[in-house]
Amino acid sequence: MPDPERPVAISPAAPTAGPSAWQNDLAPIASADWNYNFAAHLLERAGFGGRPDEIHALAKLTPAQAIARMVRFEDADPTQLAPFDESGIRDPGLEPFPPSRPAVTDQAKETGHALGIDVKRAGNRRLQPIVNEFFYWLRASVLETHRVAYWWANRMLTSPRPLEEKMALFWHGHFASNEGKVRDYRKLLRQVELFQSQGTGNFRKLLLAVAQDPAMLVFLDAGVNIKGASNENFAREIMELFTMGVGHYTEKDIREAARAFTGWNCVDIKFVVNKDQHDDGEKTFLGKTGPFDGSDVINIILDQPATADFIAAKIYRFFVRQDPSPQLQATLGSKLRNANYELKPLLETIFLSRDFYSPASVGTAIKSPVELAVGTYHKLGLTAIPGVPDFNSVTGALGQQLLSPPTVAGWNAGQSWVTPGLLLERGNFARDVLFPTISFIPPDRYGSPDIRSVADRIRRGMDITEATKPDTKSGDLAESNMAADRDEEFNTRYGSYRGWQMAIERVKAIPRDTAHINLTKIITGAEIKTTSDAIDYLIGRFMRVPPGGEVRQKLIAFLDYELGTADLAAARTYMEDSLRLALHLIMSQPEYQLA
Amino acid sequence: MSADYFKFSQASRRDLLRAAMYGVSVSAGSALRMSLFGQAAAAVAAEAESNGKILVVLELSGGNDGLNTLIPYADDAYYKHRPNLGIPRKQVRAIDDHFGFSHGMAGFERLYKNGQLAIVHGCGYENPSFSHFTSMAYWQTAAPNSGEPYGWVGRLADAMAPGAPPNFLVDIDSHQSLAVRSKLHVPVVFDDPNRFTREVFAEERTVADAAVPAIKVDNPSQGYLLDIARSARSSSALVREAWAKYKSPVDYGLVSLDLPKVAALIQAGMPARLYYTSYRNNAFDTHVFQADVHQRLLTYASDAVAAFLADLERIGRADDVVVMIFSEFGRRVPENVNLGTDHGTANLMFVAGKQVKGGHYGKVPSLTDLDSGDNLIFTTDFRRVYATMISGWLGYRGTRELLHADFESFDMFRKREA
Repeated sequence: MPDPERPVAISPAAPTAGPSAWQNDLAPIASADWNYNFAAHLLERAGFGGRPDEIHALAKLTPAQAIARMVRFEDADPTQLAPFDESGIRDPGLEPFPPSRPAVTDQAKETGHALGIDVKRAGNRRLQPIVNEFFYWLRASVLETHRVAYWWANRMLTSPRPLEEKMALFWHGHFASNEGKVRDYRKLLRQVELFQSQGTGNFRKLLLAVAQDPAMLVFLDAGVNIKGASNENFAREIMELFTMGVGHYTEKDIREAARAFTGWNCVDIKFVVNKDQHDDGEKTFLGKTGPFDGSDVINIILDQPATADFIAAKIYRFFVRQDPSPQLQATLGSKLRNANYELKPLLETIFLSRDFYSPASVGTAIKSPVELAVGTYHKLGLTAIPGVPDFNSVTGALGQQLLSPPTVAGWNAGQSWVTPGLLLERGNFARDVLFPTISFIPPDRYGSPDIRSVADRIRRGMDITEATKPDTKSGDLAESNMAADRDEEFNTRYGSYRGWQMAIERVKAIPRDTAHINLTKIITGAEIKTTSDAIDYLIGRFMRVPPGGEVRQKLIAFLDYELGTADLAAARTYMEDSLRLALHLIMSQPEYQLA
Repeated sequence: MSADYFKFSQASRRDLLRAAMYGVSVSAGSALRMSLFGQAAAAVAAEAESNGKILVVLELSGGNDGLNTLIPYADDAYYKHRPNLGIPRKQVRAIDDHFGFSHGMAGFERLYKNGQLAIVHGCGYENPSFSHFTSMAYWQTAAPNSGEPYGWVGRLADAMAPGAPPNFLVDIDSHQSLAVRSKLHVPVVFDDPNRFTREVFAEERTVADAAVPAIKVDNPSQGYLLDIARSARSSSALVREAWAKYKSPVDYGLVSLDLPKVAALIQAGMPARLYYTSYRNNAFDTHVFQADVHQRLLTYASDAVAAFLADLERIGRADDVVVMIFSEFGRRVPENVNLGTDHGTANLMFVAGKQVKGGHYGKVPSLTDLDSGDNLIFTTDFRRVYATMISGWLGYRGTRELLHADFESFDMFRKREA
């Protein structure tokens, strides 16, 4: 048996890609074509990258077996993946959660209570406990959502079914909802679980489930889509972004579809149909007329040829490359249609195709931030996402924080992932992993400057009015600062400070371990003897496209100088830090962003 | 991977870039490309280069409700359409006998009264899209209902400075906007200036600070990343130092919209002529319960823009900069039943700056003669305002090629550069 950590070298004899003629050819590759590099490419795209042992295991199979192992993953045991560990932060009385702080205080003034808390009968700031509770939930839900993101990222890192998580990530970008608007981690958690359990199943089922998913219902304002006063938000996006794309429907179709979805809503985390709010009149939608409801509209949308074409092309762009030809899109669309929207046959076709292994496809994808972070940890051999650096801060700074896509359109992929600022940031991430800062402060536990300033003054014994005055700079105060704290029934700034404090008390902490990395063991285990072999090994293990120009030579010279020798046996006892520096430089290369 | 993986490609924009930045010789293909910019064009470009004016574009994403931004309080039709959301006359910050700003917009009121704010009415385009993404793309490319792949600010940079000098075009955001997508320039895109740096240990510098290899590659994504790496190398130190030196007493309010970063770069003498920034993440998409949130958004935007102009005055560059403010569409004239408003059509644009001739521009759209979807009928093609920025402000006269048609400029600025 070979040592699982022992790499199979990327030899010139094993091409990284097939001939250019393979581009746009969906015919399956032959067993003779299959090699280590192809298997590495498959793991890179269908999962979050592979370690040499994993690549080697796939390379030993036939291509059909390897792809079946990725796609038909039912045999891979998922029991090692723990369910999300709830902090238990939900108070009774929070449902239904009012849309804004003014709505809460208006309700409290009118009814004498809100969020399950009574207005104080007398005294100063009678609504303060209610305002505190409002901010408590906002903050607690954010913190718990950070934990959900960690839980999901850990699944991406360790799942024996990487495609399940990769597809869930795809759907998360496709059917995007974010915590900022949903403001309830429970709904987002259920949505992720939906993407995990149905994401490689049938698109018809998935679409219906998403249309009835509480996070989506809240995100696209289903609660206010009622008979006689329909709200077009969901109806528009289901056609424009979720199924067909612009150009296949009219504004009238949107209005009619919105009527069909009236009454679809959620109570807490359950989907409900409010019959009295549903418009059961005739609708004319995409050329059909009837007393349609939401399910009918979804079925009509799924009958449109544009839907399968659109979805298949989007899946292709996610897994393969950004610019499929119209003909290729049509072929993929008909595959999905003919499979009655079953997703696995389409995925198998893509991953087995010559096109997938053509030079236009191999090494040309720019990793998304989540792919970059999870893939880096995976290739380092980690078994848990480190707490330092903070995964959510890292991916957020790089432009893809889980459960926080910026808009319903999800993230712009491809070249949009990298700007000059973000390219540097990606290298800095690698450094933060390999050389974690010793002055790390958990960002989720550390209040914003405003909150800290209020907290400090309160602790110094100032009264609430004094403690919550905004910090003044010289010059005119901006209008927004002058407007703060005029209402004496409660103090918003105090509420946001106290809510923060209450949230920290109740949300479980994210463990803040740093990565346990041992490059010496990896290099020694692979029986690497020289600095040039070590650089080649690190490049081969971590990059799909080697750096251009003289970078490799510079890295070898760097390692020689740092170690004082080209002979690794002589440097074995002290080479860890130098290997890490070399790896940081490798991970800072533009080419490290390619998959 | 074998060496022939990196085959030499046809001359590309990268050749031009490299030629411009590193003096590498340009192949025949690139020379041909250069001829696209004939002598005449080069002359206008040189003129535009020389006037030194700076344009800052501020995008309000999500579709700002113009009717509740500048309230036509003297028009009864407004209150008929907006029985609940209509802002009562008493709460309006009146600027004349017809219009007034939303309550929190003290900043805009001040700018208007100082004669530094142009309000352009009824801005829109034919066959409007009600999709955020589509309409925003139309505004960002200045090419509605077409497949224009480059942004109008990016094309403007290409036209003004075809030599693609580094640091000409700056986009402050978490990702690059389509508006700055350029054929020749690599826009400087960053978010946090403090993080816009490659953090390395001293011993790594020999490798980390080395020039990005000037190699030609077949892999287009690799080529793109190498371009980005070059741009990062040339701009990050400038940006970081500018930000480190910048200390302003001006209060930008609670949401500064990245305008202090623009001020810092201008103060530091960054060669950029075009800046792009946004109120991000569809913030203005106010379908439900919009009254409080919309007023807050406007307060922040108004505070930040007014502060920016004050800051420019402080650093002595107020005469050189204007800010153009837009949103991808306005909102439906009648309020919806959710105390919000749905996607609409025509909208206000604003241009703010010391050299701006304040006042109303364009025809105010009717609130009674609406289209079949209860939307305003646009009166001003938004590209007229772009043309005004391009020729009237920046002094580049080739607006026809840039905007694919002739658009009449407004006479909006106090001084005309010769």
